[in-house]
Amino acid sequence: MIIVNDVHKRYMTDHGAGKWVLRGVNFVIPPHVNVGLVGRNGAGKSTLLRLIGGIDTPTRGTIERRCSVSWPMGFGGGLQGSLTGRQNAKFVCRIHGHDEDIAERIAFIEDFAGIGNYFDHAVKTYSSGMKSRLQFAMSMAFDFDVYISDEVTAAGDVAFTNKAAAAFENLANHAGLIMVSHSEETLRQFCQAGIWLHEGQAQWFDDIEEALARYNESISK
Amino acid sequence: MVFVKHRTSTNVTLTTWKALFLREAVTRLAAGRAAWVWLFAEPLAYLVFVMTLFGFIFHRKVGGVDGAMFVVTGLLGFNFARNTFVRSMEAIKANAALFAYRQVHPIDTVLVRAALEAFLNLLSAIVLLAGASLFNFEVLPTDPLGVMGAILGLWLFGVGVGLILSASTKLVTELGKVINILITPLTFISGVMIPASTVPQPYRDMLLFNPILHGLECLRGAYFAAYHTVPEASLAFLYLCALTTVFFGLALHVRYSRRLVAE
Repeated sequence: MIIVNDVHKRYMTDHGAGKWVLRGVNFVIPPHVNVGLVGRNGAGKSTLLRLIGGIDTPTRGTIERRCSVSWPMGFGGGLQGSLTGRQNAKFVCRIHGHDEDIAERIAFIEDFAGIGNYFDHAVKTYSSGMKSRLQFAMSMAFDFDVYISDEVTAAGDVAFTNKAAAAFENLANHAGLIMVSHSEETLRQFCQAGIWLHEGQAQWFDDIEEALARYNESISK
Repeated sequence: MVFVKHRTSTNVTLTTWKALFLREAVTRLAAGRAAWVWLFAEPLAYLVFVMTLFGFIFHRKVGGVDGAMFVVTGLLGFNFARNTFVRSMEAIKANAALFAYRQVHPIDTVLVRAALEAFLNLLSAIVLLAGASLFNFEVLPTDPLGVMGAILGLWLFGVGVGLILSASTKLVTELGKVINILITPLTFISGVMIPASTVPQPYRDMLLFNPILHGLECLRGAYFAAYHTVPEASLAFLYLCALTTVFFGLALHVRYSRRLVAE
């Protein structure tokens, strides 16, 4: 369960405090629910994911994580370009306290990512699709209660998206997913519930279709 | 399926340090062609340069000791301070991608780099001194404990300055350029190439505001029985500066922890 209580967020810019990105966001994500986050560009979707993932702190308000939460995967964040996929994977295993069974986890990541020889090449030589594959595989190697995905499926091909969706269906009874995507198809494939971010406020919908409908209504105006 | 077990903060920090240390070591030693060669080639090249510049290769005495050993000890000791803060100053920028994992904090990257720097400098010191002993130089220190004390102080001072600079260059980006300009003359005022006893007053008192000079003077005093250490040289002053900078650096990292993570 994740409880987001009256979260406000603004960033410091070169010209002092910026404008409020989030203004009083409230919602509760129940366990084992896959949630899609929709909203226009700059609505604060990635910001919200970073806050939920605990890598940034809200300016005001609180976020309670009563479960283990993955890091936000997406946009090549968390990968060091000069190191190989394997070295990056080892690093992630180590910081999650899995030093003893590192070999099995690396084997899992290598297999799940399915990028062949490139696993032993520097990440900076990867295409964006290969980066997504690696990131997704890395987070699937750990048993989080909630996985956070910031457009990680966007760069992957159909085969990979299907593989990822199938992996999530297997996890469905003991893990949840919070994802941002601009593809309605992907959101429908992965999520049941939806959150619509609009003008710094968040609205919860039990059905992703309703969230998408409200979002489409707001952008057509 | 094994569920993610609950871990203590200490455990998270220690595993993160270990992971970062191995990662940094790999990038330093294995990235690029024969990257490890530079670890020894760099101080060696510098050494040759300085000794040629001053023309005291193998035959002159400086401050009562052999000229070559004088520069070697000065350079190695100086590196413990300078390399530590120069490398750890850039730690936050170089590891920005890793702050996507909430286990990794900016301060971890700085401290780990400083530790790695201590380890690598120790390694290159041992190799250089072993090499010098093959050429019949007197490489064994007279007071090993004193040498260790001075080295530790120099490194701690490097850690402190590194902590301060890593945070402040991230907050005020322009500062990085100024620091790089200031680092160059630091070699000259820290007594790497000249003993403090040869500097006339009142300039000697001015130079003695520099804690690295204190460290190097004490280092050589402990290393060579015959070295003319200036009476003002004080290890206590070095440690006082080290503790002050470490404290101030930690305070900066605590105070601005949120802004240090921001991109």
